[in-house]
Amino acid sequence: MNNRQQQKSDTRNYIIETAIARFSKDGLTKTRTSDIAKDANVSHGTIFTHFPTREDLLNTVIEEFGMKIARRMNELINNDCSIKELLTAHLKGIGEYEEFYIKLISESSLLHKSAKNTIVMIQSTISFQLLQIAEKEMELNTIKKMPVNLMFNTWIGLVNYYLINKDLFAPTDSVIARYSEQLIEHFINIISI
Amino acid sequence: MRGGVSMKICIACGMPMKIKNDFAMGDESKDYCKYCAREDGSMQSYDEKLAGLTSFIIKTQGLDEQAAKEAAKDMMAKLPAWK
Repeated sequence: MNNRQQQKSDTRNYIIETAIARFSKDGLTKTRTSDIAKDANVSHGTIFTHFPTREDLLNTVIEEFGMKIARRMNELINNDCSIKELLTAHLKGIGEYEEFYIKLISESSLLHKSAKNTIVMIQSTISFQLLQIAEKEMELNTIKKMPVNLMFNTWIGLVNYYLINKDLFAPTDSVIARYSEQLIEHFINIISI
Repeated sequence: MRGGVSMKICIACGMPMKIKNDFAMGDESKDYCKYCAREDGSMQSYDEKLAGLTSFIIKTQGLDEQAAKEAAKDMMAKLPAWK
């Protein structure tokens, strides 16, 4: 990559990082591209050089967030880790972008179709990691046999409920930091034999 | 350039290929993963992959078939193999 390309790629990444921070604060539907430009110290036009539409920018940001979570989980777990280790890694990944994740799930019904579909793929990737371990454990009779989609939906339903209602569960601190251990323990109890 | 990760990503489904076994036929020179290969090692067609991804989404999250298919189509539109 030559200098010019490098510079272009750096600017693009910087816009993405700045956008994540601003979306975390003001939400995915309310944040204006001009706010992101101001935060990133670039002109409004520069944003559109890198992302032709606001929708493109938002999609890229959601994808990037999904890759960060997937990468974090990959770092923390291996193929024969336990369900507990996997769920801990999942919450760690979310916890690092808690505010962004809360905005993402709270506003998902208001987002355009392609952004919603990106969220579907992020969740399927996580569910797939869970089912690979869960199916093995079901074979070994260490956890109850159940459809893996329901197992994942039960877990994500629990986690997302606490996060969406952050104002009720942890108004002044991190939901993940405060409830992570309790939620994982409860979920393991539900699925264990 | 994504975070300096040198790991290869499957061109047909986007899965990171971490170990030899993740690649089609265990062949690390291939650009696609074992889930995107046919039995003879060649890459699946668009329709085969769309059907496969749709059932993947249904299996992992239990979505409605049409909704799952839409998500699969959207995802494939972003991958190098189907652009």
